Amino acid sequence: MNDAREIQGLKGVSTWSAFCATLRRDLIIALKRRNDLLNPIMFFLIVVSLFPLGISPDPVELSSVSAGVVWVSALLASMLSLDNLYRADYEDGSLEQLLLSPQPLYFLVLAKNIAHWLISGLPVVILSPLLAYMLYLPSEAYWTMVLTLLIGTPVLSLFGSIGVALTVGLGSRGLILAVIVLPLSTPVLIIGAKAVTDVMFGLPVSSHFALLGAILALALTMAPLASAAALRISVN
Amino acid sequence: MFCERDERILFSDLHFEVAGGELVQVKGSNGSGKTSLLRIVCGLNEDFSGAILWKGEPVADVREDFLASMIYTGHRAGVNRILTPRENLRWSASLQAPADDSQIVEALGRLGLRAYEDIPCRNLSAGQTQRVALARLLISKASVWILDEPFTTLDIHGVKNLENLLAEHVSTGGAVILTTHHPLSVNCRARALDLDQQRINS
Amino acid sequence: MWLWFAKLGSPRWFYELSDKWLPWLYVSMLILMSVGLFWALLIVPEDYQQGQTIRIMYIHVPVASISLACFPLMAVAGTITLVWKMKLADMVAQSVAPIGAWFTGLALATGAIWGDQIWGTWWAWDARLTSLLIQFFLFIGVIALRSAIDSPDAAAKACAVLAIVGAINVPIIKYSVEWWNTLHQPASNFSIDPVAPNPPEVWVPLLVMISAVYVFFAIALILRTRNEILQRERRSQWVIDLVTREKNV
Repeated sequence: MNDAREIQGLKGVSTWSAFCATLRRDLIIALKRRNDLLNPIMFFLIVVSLFPLGISPDPVELSSVSAGVVWVSALLASMLSLDNLYRADYEDGSLEQLLLSPQPLYFLVLAKNIAHWLISGLPVVILSPLLAYMLYLPSEAYWTMVLTLLIGTPVLSLFGSIGVALTVGLGSRGLILAVIVLPLSTPVLIIGAKAVTDVMFGLPVSSHFALLGAILALALTMAPLASAAALRISVN
Repeated sequence: MFCERDERILFSDLHFEVAGGELVQVKGSNGSGKTSLLRIVCGLNEDFSGAILWKGEPVADVREDFLASMIYTGHRAGVNRILTPRENLRWSASLQAPADDSQIVEALGRLGLRAYEDIPCRNLSAGQTQRVALARLLISKASVWILDEPFTTLDIHGVKNLENLLAEHVSTGGAVILTTHHPLSVNCRARALDLDQQRINS
Repeated sequence: MWLWFAKLGSPRWFYELSDKWLPWLYVSMLILMSVGLFWALLIVPEDYQQGQTIRIMYIHVPVASISLACFPLMAVAGTITLVWKMKLADMVAQSVAPIGAWFTGLALATGAIWGDQIWGTWWAWDARLTSLLIQFFLFIGVIALRSAIDSPDAAAKACAVLAIVGAINVPIIKYSVEWWNTLHQPASNFSIDPVAPNPPEVWVPLLVMISAVYVFFAIALILRTRNEILQRERRSQWVIDLVTREKNV
């Protein structure tokens, strides 16, 4: 009997189905909590609309900063939503279950990161053309902006995940998450915003996309490993 | 199958083995390190010196096999408040061992949660949430159960129910390590490990 | 080999060894620093473009070069902490962080003073200064994380992970900032390169200053680490013996 149990236990489930189940679980939780879904988008919208109020309503001035404004706001929106990534799981003990799964933690963390991006990053990407229009971004730069955000925001989720994993056990996190995560995100911001600005000046941007893609590839391979290590430390 | 470990400060020179078909109750006063011990055994806590062996090999070498044969329930139930018991268990099953819906419904039924399958867990009482966590034991095929204070928040009926489950698991060759302050009356091979005395009393 | 490694990891061994090293380090720093400063501030000829301002470079360059070395050093110490669980490595990692932050801050300050003289502005979004600034933020992040986590073991491991992630990021940040900057501001008066090819009478004293500041850094690091050792090992017998002996003397 004992042996039979062990063999069954060994067979277990495939990594792929654990990956899918984790992704589905996080998406269901997000869909059941509409507020969490809406907050990053509203935050993005509000921050972007603050800039014309703070700078000037002048179309020329706004269009020159529009790329940077959209990118910085997307970065902040991603930051804001990061807290949900592991916090609830840490508090209710689900994170312990995740760590004790026989499946490789890399894929489970990756599933959670992808879920986070689908919830917080993708809506921002979809909404960005509207905001770019409000900031008078020249029409030829629209596609570049959407594409850079599409490649760049997953990197923000992946890097952010490391920061949240490191701080999830802390009682008073305050701004420490931002202090850790924001400097790590600067390369993406620089390249993403610059690609949009360069297109506005009619410069070629293929190298920008190559760099962004390289950073995304690096983040996909390395960041979940770092997050997994950080989670083990935090749950200890 | 056995585990073995030594440690300092909270407890030192601690050495014990757990065999299949046996229940070990870890005893000790508050702060004696019961929870730490369980977390060390299941691999959540790595701040210790000593060795944990699984079937005679260091756990680090056979980690996947060990994790697949082990299930842990801690102070925090591991039950998401927004999801329903069914959704929670589906996810747990996908992490540990596959279980279809009928098994999940049956497990919940055995723990007295019939008709609660699709109610968000935030609407359940603490005791009912604990039962959802315990239902995980039934759908998993794990041979080693590591339970930290599983009886807290359970009512008299729930306690009886869990004692029966433990006895059944042990009698079919499984192993149980648990902590509790509740006087345990299980109908199976059981012994106690007292951390205050740091030795095993049979 | 393993014996040697285990010995290296022992804080006590390090403490006693550094006792012997420190006097030599003090002496060599004193000599190097006085020779270097005298040479750099009084003997080196004025630069044909920058005049007396060039002398700031004799502080700025060594300080900046150390601040760049600190992050990799912290990451190496962090890796050793994670892989071999060596206590001494974490003590070094903890000591490097504030020193790195200070040196980065110093490099920024000397850079700003130089910028005021040459560029006519205290701050410019120059590639070097910008990447130093971001690196400064990274150091602050590591220090903040360390102070936020109560358990020393967890703090050690968490900071090690952050240091490794940061160290991988530092070159990426550096190159992206350089790339951003070079395409942004072509030429203008920002183009004066403070470390352009120079005759030996300029770079030899620079070399002396660099070694002097490196020795200073080593001393600062050793002193901090020794402090950390005494703090963490305060319950072990050899530290108690040491303290009572000092008291009696």
